[in-house]
Amino acid sequence: MAAISWIVTLLLLVAIVVLGISLWRLRADNARLSSAHSQTETELKQLQSSQAQVIHTTKLASLGQMVAGVAHELNTPLGFVKSNVEVVGDLLDDYRKLVKAYDAAVQYCQQPVDLMFGADKSSLDKLVKHVEESRRKLFDARNAVEKSPLLTEAKELLGDARDGIVQLSALVQNLKGFARVDRDGIDAMDVNEGVESALMIAAHQLRDRIKVVRKLEAVPKVRGMPSQLNQVFLNLITNAAQAMEDEGTLTVATRAGNNQVEIVFSDTGCGIPDDVLPKIFDPFFTTKAPGEGTGLGLSIVHKIVKSHGGSIKVRTTPNRGSEFTVVLPVESSARPTLH
Amino acid sequence: MLGQGFEMPVENKPSGPLRVLFVDDEARILRALKALFRDVEVHATTDPRQAPGLAAMHDVDVVVCDQRMPEMLGVDVLREIKANHPRAMRILLTGYSDLKAVLGSVNEGEVYRFVNKPWVNSDLRGLVIEAGAISREAPIVASDELTGIEQNVARTQVGVLVIEDDTTVQQRLREILQPHYQVRFANTAERALQVLEQHETGVVISETATNHGTDLTLMLKALKQYHPHIATVVITERANAQTVIELINEGQVYRMLIKPVRMGSCRLSVDSALGRYWKLKQNPQAVRRYGVTATPETLSAQTRMPNSLLSRIRALPARLLGIGR
Repeated sequence: MAAISWIVTLLLLVAIVVLGISLWRLRADNARLSSAHSQTETELKQLQSSQAQVIHTTKLASLGQMVAGVAHELNTPLGFVKSNVEVVGDLLDDYRKLVKAYDAAVQYCQQPVDLMFGADKSSLDKLVKHVEESRRKLFDARNAVEKSPLLTEAKELLGDARDGIVQLSALVQNLKGFARVDRDGIDAMDVNEGVESALMIAAHQLRDRIKVVRKLEAVPKVRGMPSQLNQVFLNLITNAAQAMEDEGTLTVATRAGNNQVEIVFSDTGCGIPDDVLPKIFDPFFTTKAPGEGTGLGLSIVHKIVKSHGGSIKVRTTPNRGSEFTVVLPVESSARPTLH
Repeated sequence: MLGQGFEMPVENKPSGPLRVLFVDDEARILRALKALFRDVEVHATTDPRQAPGLAAMHDVDVVVCDQRMPEMLGVDVLREIKANHPRAMRILLTGYSDLKAVLGSVNEGEVYRFVNKPWVNSDLRGLVIEAGAISREAPIVASDELTGIEQNVARTQVGVLVIEDDTTVQQRLREILQPHYQVRFANTAERALQVLEQHETGVVISETATNHGTDLTLMLKALKQYHPHIATVVITERANAQTVIELINEGQVYRMLIKPVRMGSCRLSVDSALGRYWKLKQNPQAVRRYGVTATPETLSAQTRMPNSLLSRIRALPARLLGIGR
C-alpha cells in the first residue's frame, strides 16, 4: 500500500516536472513568436513607409514633369504678351511725337493772320510765301500722321497680346481642370476634357517629335475622381511618348460603348515584348534603368481604373506599337469603391 | 598680321544697320521681336530648316533662335549656322530648357548667350546690339584644330589645370591627360590660383563644386571675366540646367562633360580647348566673341569670395597668360 502511494507520488512528481517543462517551453515559444511577430511588423512598417516614399517620389516626379511642361507652354505666350505691351507703349510715344509735329504745323499756319494786320507791299509778298510754306508743312505733318504705321502696328501687337492672354487663361483653366484642386472628390466627368488637359500637360514631351491625332467623340460622362483619372491619362500619354524613341504618332480616341466609355491611346512605338507584357501592371516592375523609373506608373494606372469599376486592356506588337484601352462605366451605372 | 586660321570679315565688311535673324515656330513671337527691333534689319522665319540658308544669304550679324520647334531643335539650327555662317553670334531663346538641350548648346552650338522666355525687352535689345557689334568687329577663330607642329609647341608651353578634390576622378584624369599635357592638380580654389600665378595655363578643367560643397562656379566666372582667353572645361555630376545656363552666360564655359569621365570625349575636349587658347593667344582681338558680363548678383557674390581670391584673379600677370607681349 505504501509502495503504491509512493509510486503515485513519484508519478505525480514526474507529471508536475513534465508539465513545468512544457509550460516553460510554451512560454519560450511564445516569447520567440512574439519577438518574431514584432520583427515582421517592423519590417512591414519599413516596407510600407518605403513604398509610400516611392509613391510620393513618383508623384513628385510627375509634378516636376507637369511644372516643366506647363512652364514651357506658359512662357511662350508670356514672352510676346509682355514684350508687345511694352513696345506698344513705345509706339504710342512715337505717335505722340507725330501729333506734336502736326500741332506745330497748325500753329505755323495761324501766324499769317497776325502778319496781315499792318501789312505793306513787301510784307504781303512774305505773307504769300508764308502761306505756301504753311500749306506744305501742314500737308506733310497731316500726311505723316495719316500714313503712320504706328497705330496699325500697335493694334496688331495688342491683338496678338489679347490672343496670348486668351491662350494663357485657357492654359490656366486647363491646369485647374487637371488638378481639380477646387473640388477633390467624386464627380461626373467628361473624359474628353480630361484627355485634353493631360495632352496639354504632356505637350512639351510631345511637340518636338510626336504627332497627336485626336478622335474624340461626344461621350456620356463617367463618375469618378477627375484628378485621378487625369493622372491615368497623363501616365498613358507619357508612356506612349517614351515608347516612341524618335518620331511617331499618338492617337487618342474616345467612344461610347454599351453603358461604358472607352478611351484608347495608341502609339507607333517599340511595343512590349512577350516576356514583359504579363508584368507591366506589377508594382515596382520597370524596364527603365535604375533611378529612371519607379515602376509604379502603370500599377497606379491599374489601381485607379479598377477603383473606378473599370478595366484596362493592352494590345501590342513589338516594333509596331501598343494600344492601351481604358474602359470606364458611364455615370449612372458606376458603383465606385474609392478610397 | 593675323595668324593662320583667322578670318577677318574684311571683304564686304558689313555696314549699315544691324542684321538679325529670328527663328521661332510661334509667329507671334516673331512679330513681337520685329516690333521690338524695328530700328534694325530683321529677318525672320517660323521654319528652322530655312534658318541656316537665310543667315548666310543675308549675312546676318546675330541669330536668335527658339529651342523647341517641331521640325528641328534650336541647338541643331545653331550648330549648322556655326558651320556655314560662323560670323553670326548665336543666342538661344527658350521657354523651358532641359539639361540635354543646354549641354548641346554649349558643346555643339557654342552659343554666346542663353535667354529665357519671357525676356526683358531692354536686356534683350542690349544683348543683341552688343553681340552685333562684336560680330562685326571681332575676327573669327575658324577652327580650334592645331597643326601637328603647333600642337607640340602648345603642349610644351601651355599647362592644363585640373580643379578637383575627388581622388578617384583625379586619378582617372591623370591617366587620361598626363601622357599628353602638362597637367597640374589643385584641390582648392586657393591652390588653383597658385598654379595660375606660377604657370602659363590655357585650359582649366573643373567641377562646379568641391566635395566639401565649396562653389567653384564663382571663381570660374571671375576667371572668364578677367581672362576670357582661358578655355574652361567643366566636368560635373551634379549638373542642373540653371547652373549650366549661368556658366554659359557668365562663364562662357567651352565644354561641359558629365561624370563619369570618358577617355575619348575628355581628350577631344581638352585638345580643342587647348587649340582655342592657342588661337586666341595669337589673335587676342577674337577674344571678344567669348567675353562675359557678370550679373550684379554674381558681382556681389564675388566680393565675398575668401582670401581675396578675386583681386588675385584680377592681378594674374598677363605674361603668364601669354598675352600682352
